[in-house]
Amino acid sequence: MKVIVSNIQRFCLHDGPGIRTTVFFKGCNLKCPWCSNPENIDFEVQEYFKDGEKNVYGKEISLENLEKEILKDKDYYEKEGGVTFSGGEPLLQFKNIEPLLKNLKEKDINICVETALTVSTEIIDIAIKYVDEFIIDIKILDENSSYKINGNVEFFYKNIEKLLKNNVNVTFRIPLVPEFTVTEENINKIYDFLKIYKPQKVEIFKIHRLGESKYKSLGKEMMEFKDISDDKILEIKEKIKKLNIEVDYIKI
Amino acid sequence: MKSKLKTTIKNIIGKKTICHLRFSKLIYRKKYSKDNKIIGRIKAFKNTKIYYDKNKGEELKKLFKGIDVITISKDKKFYNNFDFLKVNCFTNSIIDNMCIDYSIILDNSFEDLKKSLNKNDEKFYLTELKTIEGFELLIDRIVEKNKSNKNIVNNLQNMKSKKADSLYEALQRILFINMLLWQTNHKLNGLGRLDLILIKYYKKDIENKTLNENEAKKLIKEFLETLHDFYEMKSSALIGDTGQIIELGGESINGEYLCNELTYLFIELMEELKLPDPKVLLRVSKKTPRSLIEKSLKCIQTGIGCPLFANDDVIIEKLINFGYEKEDAYKYGTSACWEPYIIGKASDPNNIRWLSFMNPLNDLLENEDLNSFTNIQDFIEKYKEYLKKYLDNLINQINNMRFEKDPILSLFIDDCVKSSKDISEGGAKYNNFGLTSVGLANLVNSICNIEEFVFKNKEMSFDEFNKIRKNNFESNEKLLKRLKNSEEKYGKDSDKILELANDLIKYTTDVLKEKRNYLGGRYKFGLSAPSYIDASKNVPASFDGRKEGEPFAVHISSDVSNGYTELVEFASKLSYEENRFNGNVVDFFVSPNFISDNFDKFVDFLMLSIKVGFFEMQMNVVSSKQLIEARKNPEKFPNLVVRVWGFSSYFKDLPDDYKDYLIERALKSEGNS
Ligand code: SF4
Repeated sequence: MKVIVSNIQRFCLHDGPGIRTTVFFKGCNLKCPWCSNPENIDFEVQEYFKDGEKNVYGKEISLENLEKEILKDKDYYEKEGGVTFSGGEPLLQFKNIEPLLKNLKEKDINICVETALTVSTEIIDIAIKYVDEFIIDIKILDENSSYKINGNVEFFYKNIEKLLKNNVNVTFRIPLVPEFTVTEENINKIYDFLKIYKPQKVEIFKIHRLGESKYKSLGKEMMEFKDISDDKILEIKEKIKKLNIEVDYIKI
Repeated sequence: MKSKLKTTIKNIIGKKTICHLRFSKLIYRKKYSKDNKIIGRIKAFKNTKIYYDKNKGEELKKLFKGIDVITISKDKKFYNNFDFLKVNCFTNSIIDNMCIDYSIILDNSFEDLKKSLNKNDEKFYLTELKTIEGFELLIDRIVEKNKSNKNIVNNLQNMKSKKADSLYEALQRILFINMLLWQTNHKLNGLGRLDLILIKYYKKDIENKTLNENEAKKLIKEFLETLHDFYEMKSSALIGDTGQIIELGGESINGEYLCNELTYLFIELMEELKLPDPKVLLRVSKKTPRSLIEKSLKCIQTGIGCPLFANDDVIIEKLINFGYEKEDAYKYGTSACWEPYIIGKASDPNNIRWLSFMNPLNDLLENEDLNSFTNIQDFIEKYKEYLKKYLDNLINQINNMRFEKDPILSLFIDDCVKSSKDISEGGAKYNNFGLTSVGLANLVNSICNIEEFVFKNKEMSFDEFNKIRKNNFESNEKLLKRLKNSEEKYGKDSDKILELANDLIKYTTDVLKEKRNYLGGRYKFGLSAPSYIDASKNVPASFDGRKEGEPFAVHISSDVSNGYTELVEFASKLSYEENRFNGNVVDFFVSPNFISDNFDKFVDFLMLSIKVGFFEMQMNVVSSKQLIEARKNPEKFPNLVVRVWGFSSYFKDLPDDYKDYLIERALKSEGNS
C-alpha cells in the first residue's frame, strides 16, 4: 500500500503534546479559502513552478517506509509525544493506513490527528480504535454558509457525538476569519456548540499568509481577509472563558 | 599611574599587537617544520623584551624580576596583571591549549611544592627550584607595591607557606598561577572543574560565616571579570579565542552525578555577565538534574553560546577504551575548545594540527583518470589510498616538531615531578596527540553526488562532471542548486549516509592507530575543527555544491531547518570508538523566540538528546535578522555575542567572512537560503 504525503516534519512542538513528527497527507474534501496548505487539497502528486523551476508537491511512500520515518524520532516521543497525522484531511487516508496505525499502536506510539471531521462515520470508527489525541477544527457550523467551504454540519455533529461518547481526548481549534468563522451567526453557533459539549480546552488562532507563495506556485491566488482586531480576539476569549472552558490564543 | 598608562598603551596598540603577535605566530606555524631556530628568532625580534637564560628556571626568574608589577586599586579584590610585552624566550613549540590541575596550588604551598621535588636529577631539580623561587620573588615584588592592601598581601604571602584557607584565597591563587601561564607564552589556558575544587572553601566560609551567599557570588563574579581582563591580549586565532574554559558538573566514578551550589552559581553568573569569555562547559549525563539543564538553557538563551554540553555517558567510556585509566577518565576536562583532556595529567596537545578530508579528494581528482571508475565503491577505495598518503605525510611533519622545555607545566602536570622529567620530554602520564578534522560533511556529500549523477543517473561522464566543478560551476547554476539540495546529505540519519561516514572515519583510525608521536604516545582525532574557514580558502569547488574558496561545513551540523532531533540522532550514530573522541560537537542555530515559546519542550529535547547520545553540543541563539542588522550597523550592537567554534566572541570583532558565514547558517536554519 502506498500513500501520498507532501511532507514529514520532525521535531514539531505545536501539533499535540510532547515532541512529535507530523505527517502531511495530500487530499482534502473541504476548501477553506484561508487554508495554509493549498498543496494538500488535491489528492494526487502535483506539479508546480517556483522561480521558473518545475517541481512536485507530494511523494508516494509505502506504509513500511512511512513507519520507518515516524520511528526515527521514537527516542524523543517518551510518554507524551508521538506522531501527528495532518494534511489535508488525514482521516480520509485512515482506511488505507490502518495497518500502519495498528503497528504504531503496538509499538506504543502516541497518535494524534488534525481533522475537520467531515468524513463518514465508518472512518470515525477506525480512528477511535487508534487515535489518542484528536485536534478538531471548528470552522463553519452555520448550515446556511457551510457550503462556502464544502462543509457538512450534519456529519460534523454526528461524528462529534460519537467521539465524545467514546471518551476520547479532544482539543478544539477555531481559526478566526472575520468573513467566515467569526460572522455574527457562525460565532454564536460556535458558542452554542461549546455550551453543549463543554470541552476542557479550546484553542483559537489567527490565520496567516505564509502559504501565499504556495498558492502562487500552483497558479492560484490566496484570498484577501480582513484583519481581526485584538479587541475582538479578547472578546471571543472572554466569552468562551465565561462558559467555564479553558481557552488559549495560539500562534501558528 | 603606571597602570593607567599601561591601559592606555593597551588601548592604543592593543589590536596592532595582537595582529603582530598573530603574524609572527603565522610565520612560526608555517615554517616550524623547517627551521625552529630562525622562527624563534623572528618571534624574539618582533617582541619588545625577551628574557633568555641557558637554564629555563633562571630565565623565568629573570622574567618575573622584569615584568611590571602594579598597585591594585582599593575597590578591586584580586591582583592580576599581564605584562604582555615581556616574554621569555622559546625556539620550539609551546605545550599549551590544556589545563593544569589548580587544586595542586590550593592544597599546597610553594614550600610544599619545593619539598615534593626530589634531587635524583639535579638539573631538573634546580630548574624547578628556580622556577618556584621566581614565583616567590614575584610575590615579594607585588606585596611591596601593595603594602597597604591587607587582603592582597595576605592572600599572596600565604601561597608561600600555607594551604589555601578560604574561597577568596583560592580564587586569588588560581588567578595568580593562571596569569603566570599567560606571562610565559602559554596560550589557551583552561581553568578546570572549578565548582568541584572550590566547593569545600565555599562551604567552609559559609559555615564559619566569613562569607554569606551574596558575598560569595560577588567574589566569584569579580573573579570571572578579572579572568576576562586582557581579553584581546589573551586571544589566539581570533579575538575571543582565549581557551579560558571552566568545566562544571560531571559523573563520578561511583556513578553519581556531581554538581553543587557553585555549579549553579557559575552558570547564573555567566547569564548575568553576558561575556564571551571566560566560557563554561557543562558535563552532563542521564543523571543531570532537570533544574541544572533549565538553568543552562536560560544562559544559552542570552546568546552567549555557553554552556557547551559534554555528554559523560558517551565520552567517559571512549576515554577508558582508548587507554586512559578509569579514575582519570572520570575526571576529564577539555582542551581550549572541547577536546577531552585529562586535567593535570597529560601533555596531550589536542589541537596539534587539523586534517582536511577534502585535500586527498582534490589530489585524487587532479591525478586519476576519472572515467576509468565504473562504480562508487572503487572510487571510495581509491580515495582511501590518497587519504593514507595524506595522513602519513601529516604525521611525519608533526613528528618533526619538538616542544619547549617547560618547568611551570612540569610542576603542575603529573608525573613530571615524580619522574624528574620535563613535560616536553615525556614526563606527563599521558602523551597522546590530537588532531581535529574538517570537511567530512563536504566529502560525504561529494561522494553521494558523484554516485547519483555519474554512476546511477549517468547524467554525464565523471570527466565532464569534474570539468564543470573545476570551472567553479560557472554558468551551471541549476546543477549547482541540485548538488546543494540533494536528498542524501551529511546530518540526515539515513543508513546510507551513516555507513559512508563511519566507513571513512574508521579508515582514518586504521591509518592513525599504528602511529606514535615523539613522546611515545598515540594519535587521536575528532570531527569538529576550528579551521572550517581557514582550511577552505583557495580550495577548489567541490561536488557537494561548494564553490571555490567557500567555507567547509561546521562541525557536526546540517542544513535542515529545525532538524535538531534528526541531527542529534545522526550524531549519536557516528562511531566515536577507538581514537575518534577528540571533540565531536553538534552545532546548530536556534531562533530566540523558538526557545522562549517552547522552553519546557526544549528542555525535554536537551534531556532526551543526552539519552540519545550526542557527544557534545552547542548552539547559537540568534536570528538572522539581528545578525544582518549588526553586520550593517556594528555600533548599534556592541555587545552582541556569537559562538564561533569552541569559543564565543563579540560579533563586531569577527572578520567579515566569519560574520557572513554565521548569517548564512542562521538563514538556512530558519529555512531561508
Ligand atoms: S480542512 Fe484544512 S486542509 Fe482542508 S482546506 Fe480546510 S484548512 Fe485546508
